[in-house]
Amino acid sequence: MKKKDFYKDLLEYLELDETNLDETTNLKALEGFDSMSILSVIAFCDEKFGKKFTAQQLNAIITVKNLMELIGMEEFED
Amino acid sequence: MKTLSNKNIVITGASSGIGREIAIEASHLGASVILIARKKEGLQATYERLKAGDHIVFSSDITNYMELEPLITKAVQKTGKISGFVHAAGIEMTMPFRNMKPDYYEKIFGINVIAGLELARIISKKNYLDESGGSFVFISSVMGKFGKEGKVAYCASKAALTSSIKAMALELSQKKIRCNAILPGVVKTSMVENMFASLPDSSVEEIIKQHPLGLGLPEDIAHIAVFLLSDKAKWITGSEIVIDGGYSAG
Ligand SMILES: NC(=O)c1ccc[n+]([C@@H]2O[C@H](COP(=O)([O-])OP(=O)(O)OC[C@H]3O[C@@H](n4cnc5c(N)ncnc54)[C@H](OP(=O)(O)O)[C@@H]3O)[C@@H](O)[C@H]2O)c1
Repeated sequence: MKKKDFYKDLLEYLELDETNLDETTNLKALEGFDSMSILSVIAFCDEKFGKKFTAQQLNAIITVKNLMELIGMEEFED
Repeated sequence: MKTLSNKNIVITGASSGIGREIAIEASHLGASVILIARKKEGLQATYERLKAGDHIVFSSDITNYMELEPLITKAVQKTGKISGFVHAAGIEMTMPFRNMKPDYYEKIFGINVIAGLELARIISKKNYLDESGGSFVFISSVMGKFGKEGKVAYCASKAALTSSIKAMALELSQKKIRCNAILPGVVKTSMVENMFASLPDSSVEEIIKQHPLGLGLPEDIAHIAVFLLSDKAKWITGSEIVIDGGYSAG
């Protein structure tokens, strides 16, 4: 998946007001990111990449890059 | 004589958790049980814990609706007519409403509601139902009465199930069939283990705290189910029986 499509789709799933994401964005510091958002990220990874993660795995994630690493960097292109 | 002697009871969701425990308890009370679920290993593990008797195991996906009647026909040929049915098969889904899709609702309703109603309809036919009538027990949930974030589909499916037993109780009373729903709070089963794994620790702690007597065990639900299946419950129909360690008292 193209990185810019990934950022766009992720924002759409999370329904946050933020309009710009990149690898350095601190996901959990985004305004409106709450416990439901973690579930949205889990649903997103399952739906888009067929990967099932637990809340515990996602707890360790801070930045968008951390999430991409969990999914697997080979899934992304510039 | 034991309370469920001479009763053949069909149980969905018998490979795990609440359905498994009901099957075990019913067999110890003298019933012959007909176990239905998909996973063969889970069914086998349940079978090994049954009190010996004329039990049958069917590995089947209950959303293959066309296969349900042939399955009941086979069960009746093998063990005789049916006097009890427990629909314990079910799936949970924790998903923010914003990310829901029509096929997610279809999937959860298929298993939690439609398959259970279809099996009840089939079993209530003259060819399959015991002459003395029957008792149908549906494992619903307190979530059918109360909301919870991320549970729109699950709550909807359980509310549908709880309501449907009332209409069914009225229609089937002529056939001497009683229909009741059990509404458990959170019970320690693999369904809940998986759900807890998808939730942040703070949400898990909150759910546990909402149960003043702590989380339930499958046997807590099984005790009520076997009572409803027995003739001791002969004047109970169309009822919702909440068993939730105090969850809904708050
Ligand atoms: N645990 C709780 O806290 C709780 C609370 C309230 C209500 N409930 C309800 O209680 C019931 C039992 O749940 P549980 O906690 O015991 O969960 P569980 O351990 O996950 O058991 C669910 C059962 O449903 C069966 N099942 C699922 N999809 C099926 C399908 N398509 N065809 C046939 N069988 C299917 C599973 O068998 P296979 O995977 O082998 O097919 C399994 O035997 C459910 O209806 C649940 O909604 C549970």
